[in-house]
This record gives sequence, C-alpha cells and structure tokens, in this order.
Amino acid sequence: MLDRLRQPWQDNRAERSLGAVAVLIAVGVVAMVAFVAVHAWPTFSHDGLSWLGPAPKGTSLEEQIATMQATGVNAPAAAYHLSAWPLIYGTILCTVPAVLIGLAVAILSSIFIVELAPGRLRRIAIPVIRLLASVPSVVYGLIGILVLVPFVGNHLITASEKTSVQNTVELTGAGLLVAIVILTVMITPIMVALICEALVSVPSSWREGAIALGVNPVRAMLAVSLRAARPAIVAAAVLATARALGEAIMISMVSGSRDFAPRISDGLTFLYEPFRSLASAIVDYHEGIGAPALSSALYAFALLLLFSALVLSVGGYLIKLPLRRYQVRG
Amino acid sequence: MTRIRRLSAALVAAGVLGVAAPAGASAITTITISGATASYPLVNLLAQKYVKVHPNKVKFRIAQGGAQIGINDVKAGKVTIADVSRDPLPTDTGLTFYPIARYGICIITNKSNTLSNLTTAQAISIFTGKTRTWSGVPGATATGTIDLISRTSVAGVLTSFQTNLLEGKKVSSLAAEEASEGLLRQQVENDPSSIGFVSNYQSDKGTVNAVGLNGVACNRSTVVSGQYSGTARFYEVTKGNATGAALAFIGWIKASSAARKIISTQWVPIT
Repeated sequence: MLDRLRQPWQDNRAERSLGAVAVLIAVGVVAMVAFVAVHAWPTFSHDGLSWLGPAPKGTSLEEQIATMQATGVNAPAAAYHLSAWPLIYGTILCTVPAVLIGLAVAILSSIFIVELAPGRLRRIAIPVIRLLASVPSVVYGLIGILVLVPFVGNHLITASEKTSVQNTVELTGAGLLVAIVILTVMITPIMVALICEALVSVPSSWREGAIALGVNPVRAMLAVSLRAARPAIVAAAVLATARALGEAIMISMVSGSRDFAPRISDGLTFLYEPFRSLASAIVDYHEGIGAPALSSALYAFALLLLFSALVLSVGGYLIKLPLRRYQVRG
Repeated sequence: MTRIRRLSAALVAAGVLGVAAPAGASAITTITISGATASYPLVNLLAQKYVKVHPNKVKFRIAQGGAQIGINDVKAGKVTIADVSRDPLPTDTGLTFYPIARYGICIITNKSNTLSNLTTAQAISIFTGKTRTWSGVPGATATGTIDLISRTSVAGVLTSFQTNLLEGKKVSSLAAEEASEGLLRQQVENDPSSIGFVSNYQSDKGTVNAVGLNGVACNRSTVVSGQYSGTARFYEVTKGNATGAALAFIGWIKASSAARKIISTQWVPIT
C-alpha cells in the first residue's frame, strides 16, 4: 500500500495534484473575502457612502461604537450607524509619512551598503537588516509604550501645547508622532533588504560600461544601477505599505487609541494627537464582537483593509509596467 | 501484510484511547466567565478557592473585557456567567443579577498630587470637562492641564461612577480611555497631572493618591462603615436563572464562610 507512494510521481498526476493545491489556495482567498464581505454588509447597507465620511455633528465614532456595544445582542437598525472617517484618516496619516521617510532612508542606505561600504561591513549589514525586518511588531510596540510614549509625554509636549488643545483632546505622549517613528523603523529594513538584493543583481558590466564612457561612479550608480532597480523599489514600497496598513498591535499600543481625527489646523501639535487606525480598531474592539452591530463594523474595517491591499498590488503592478525595460529581478 | 495488520492495530488502539479520554474527563464541568475587569481579581480568588474545596468537579475559564462584553456574551450564550460591576439597566432583559460584593469607586490622582478632597460639584466639573486646569481645583498640587483618564464605554465601573458619583452626568469625551482598571491605575501612576477613577481594590494598593469625596476618605474601611457614598456592587449574571454548576458556584459565594472571608479581604460582603 505504502510502496506505491514511494514511487516517483507520473508527470500528469503531479500536475493535477499541484494544480489542485494552487486552486485550493485561490478558492480559500476568494471564500475569505466573500465571508468578510457578507458579514460586513449590514453596516454598509445602513449608511451607504456616508460610512466613509466623518460623524454627523453631535455624535462621534466613539459614541456610535458605544451604542453598538450597549444595544448588545438584539441591536436595532439605528445601532448600525458608523462613520469610519477618523479611522481611515488615521491610517493614512501614519502610513504615508512612514512609507515616504522609510523609502528615502532605504534607497540611500542600500546604495551605501551595496556600492560604497567595505566588504566586511556589507557582509555583516545585510544579515543584520534581514534580522531587523523579522522582529515581531509587538516588540516594537513594547519599546514604544515603555520608552517613547513617556519620553514624548514628559519632555517633548510642552504645557502650552497641552493647554492650546485642552478643550478638544488630551495629549499624553501616545499619538501620531510615536506611531510614525516606530512604523518607519519597522518597515525600513524590509525595503532595505529588497532594494539591496536588486542592486546587487545589477550586472556590474552595465555600470562599468557607463564608467568607461566617462561618467563618474556616483552618476553611474544613480543613472544605471538605481534605474535598473526601479521595479524592485516599487515592489519594496508596496510590500512595506501593506505591512504598515495592516499593522495593528503596535499602533494599538502607541497611538493613544482614540477615535479622533488629528487636526492639521492645530499646527505641529497635531503630531502629538492620538488617533486609531483601521487595523488597530479591530484589535481594540475585538472583545465586543458578541454585539452583532460591532462585529459587522469590524468586518467592514477588515474588508476595507483587504480592498486597500488589492488597490496596492494592482497599483504597484501598473507602476512597474513602464519600468520593465531594463529591469533586474530583485 | 504484517505492516497493514500492525497499522490497523495501531488505529484501533488510537480509537479506543480517543473514545476513552473524553469519557473520563466529562465528569468535570467548565464554567466560563467573562466581563468586568474590576471584579476579576475577586472572582479569580473565589474560583480558585471553589476548585480547591470541590476537587475534580469544576474548571473555570475566566476572561475579562468589561461588564458590557460579559452581558453580551452571556446573552449570546457564549459564557455561563457574566461578571458585572454596575447595577442592572433596563436593556438587560432576560438576565438574572446575583449581587456578590460591594466596592467603593475612588477618584485617584498621581502620588505627587496630594489633592485630598473633592465635593460632588467639583468632581462633576472636572470629569465633564468644565474645569480643565489644576489651578481651578483648590487643594491640588499639580499644575497645568488636567489629564482625564476614563474607561472604555463597556466598563461597568464607568457606568457606576457616572450614576453614583457624578449624579448621572457623563464623563467628557476628552478623556483618554483605558481598557481595564489596571491600565487606568498605571496611567495615573505615570502621569503627574492626571485624574481617574478605580475600584477601591486598585487604589488601596497605595501607588496612587485616593481623593476623598465630600469630606470622606475613599478606602475599604469607609466603604464598610457606610460613610463613603460612592459605592457600587459586583454581580454574577446568568441568562435566565442560574442552573447546575453556575448555580452551585453562586450559591457557594453567597452562603459559605470561606467565600465571605475572601470577599472581606479587599471588598465588602453583601449583608
């Protein structure tokens, strides 16, 4: 009985079984999206597009969620009202700066590591960066809540900044600034690792050719190596953005966890203001899923995250298309 | 052929073990509990004692989350008992509330802020966000903006605090919201200009400054003597009337002297 399994697979049988596994994964993904969408439907159907907007005057997202929890198991239709704008805004506000800063740092540092660093440093740097890329986010969150949040709260936020917003929001140290800093630290190593790999795989003859034609080495690096690595840079940015969007635990720990949309009109103080992202809202509220209105809202946040992941990967693909001419694989 | 025979023998053996193991374990009932973070320390102690005096009878799985989470869970049939730290509300239909202990709700500030007393009017003004600076609070040694620290909306202590200490007024939406009593206490410990509220179990630990209310200090002994007015009750809540193991456990809490002794360490038994 077992002997038959030991024999090498026939081609057609291997093809079918591997195909079946691949199809199974695709079916699993589709089923998951469908499941989330079905559960998210009640909250969307109650609000339509105003679901994405800010809360109407006189209420707030926090009050809406409190209503969902208070009405419990037999929630009336009115309990489903939700205005997710503060969460969407908070997600954008912490992700975009983190990805932009991280991308700039990653490109510069990978150029240094690949082109300029002495060989011994390079041999140490690349494994260390890979290691950094795999640090669990909860560790970063812990450092954030134990070190950075008290530091920002006690040393950076001044009394006058606190007083200036005292009738809108409280500044405790946990907020946008700490979240952006940690998120940047979290996603930069991933980008460095990917971009390094792409730069390493640019054939050295290309750059040597450019230098032979009289271009100086820095110019050759920027014009040839970096240009050839552009698709990998886009791929790195997409991957890092996806990780930043989905980051839940760390954001939940250091963001101050308020359903508040930081106000840019407060000047630089807005960097200290608390917020909550879509993913961290799922973490913060998951214990309340016994209330059907709230569980539907959480599924809706999840659906929005899935949708943004789709937009990201399609967007990344479209950006990469015209860059393909001289590409190297990262 | 021998391989097949050995294989089938192993399968049969595994099957017998698989059937036998659950049969042996089924004598132990599991009581699942979720809800208030404030009564968690008490219920945890009671459950440990109960398991000790009734060996091999019951097992407990106790989660927290907040009183409203417990209510929703027990209504949905997810848990046997909900821990609740507030009185029944009109929306709590179909549930039975069994009071198990009384506790005081203390207003707390950072150790460095030696504010000793607030009147109800002052407390309302601070917690509703009308008074925003410590300079407006006589007796306070902190300066600058008041950092309000509250609980998330599911907290029963928040509901009790608003009903019993703030005359039904709501805590301002400015307040930071902590998910548990312990987190709130920790936040107040770290922030010199903060003010919050916890059950007397948390403030009696002495790491924060417990503020008196209307001239009465807040600690276990003033709650016992009845002088301190800001008290509330812990309940065990079941869907319909309690039955079986849950009924036995709740009955034991109310009747046994061992349970009473545990309650009297940090809380106040129901008389």
